[in-house]
Amino acid sequence: MSDIFLWKPVIEIMILWFMIYHIMLFFEGTRAIQVLRGIVILLVAFFVFQNLGFTILDWLLTKLFAISVIAILIIFHPEIRHGLARLGQRHLFGTVLREEELDFILSQIVKASEILCKNKIGALIAVEREDSLAPYMESGVLMDAKVSIELIQTIFAPSSILHDGGLIIQHGRIMAGGCLFPLTASSDLSRVFGTRHRAALGLSEETDALVIVVSEERQDMSFAYQGRLHQDVTPEEMLMKIKDIIKVKKEK
Amino acid sequence: MSKDKISIIFRVKHWFTYHPWLKIISFLLAILVWFYVRGEISKFNY
Repeated sequence: MSDIFLWKPVIEIMILWFMIYHIMLFFEGTRAIQVLRGIVILLVAFFVFQNLGFTILDWLLTKLFAISVIAILIIFHPEIRHGLARLGQRHLFGTVLREEELDFILSQIVKASEILCKNKIGALIAVEREDSLAPYMESGVLMDAKVSIELIQTIFAPSSILHDGGLIIQHGRIMAGGCLFPLTASSDLSRVFGTRHRAALGLSEETDALVIVVSEERQDMSFAYQGRLHQDVTPEEMLMKIKDIIKVKKEK
Repeated sequence: MSKDKISIIFRVKHWFTYHPWLKIISFLLAILVWFYVRGEISKFNY
């Protein structure tokens, strides 16, 4: 019986760990993480003061936490709204495509990006999730074609008319090329990144799309998601991460 | 159809290398929160 009681705290701590880790992961890379770090430091200080019996500091921090609940709601308002909205959303790819089809499409996109990267050709590919990318398709050329390495390479070939814009993948098909994406106004982005990276980040800030960007100058692959730029990832890492984002459980 | 298989070793390696500090900090925080809540609950004799 005592074994069962020992397991309960372990399971509770594991669940708490999972929840805290995912909350921190959700805010990682955003400006909110700075505030979250401050809260974590205050929490640790609060716990230490309480255990050492510093009553005045303990009282002060208790009052501070009571006020900070309102402050957190105000500071994290956009993130909370965005997060709650995402909780209720279904994943479009999951409902439209079978897992094998999705695996194939994503591997084609990553392989095409890898080839383009090796050939020093830049690329910008947006994969639609819940938020519609239809408004951005209007700025480009409508296609509605099957995803293939060859087609992606052809679109981004320097001689192609569409190579300067972004490619939009919707419902597992290449829906438009040469599209214009909004540029991020973030000052956090290093000056070494050009317009392509700014466009990838801009679109990921305004929608929940996953945007793959290939740099022709530095010959590296990155992807932007939810306003965060995941720089210089290997093709294998990228494939795994983007599959994780699109929430596909791959069968072994 | 060509498919890239992701090995278990890569997944395990990825788990340890993907935000390791975030995992450590969140684990410590989880322990801290658990002990704090247990202390608070015992105060009120739930």
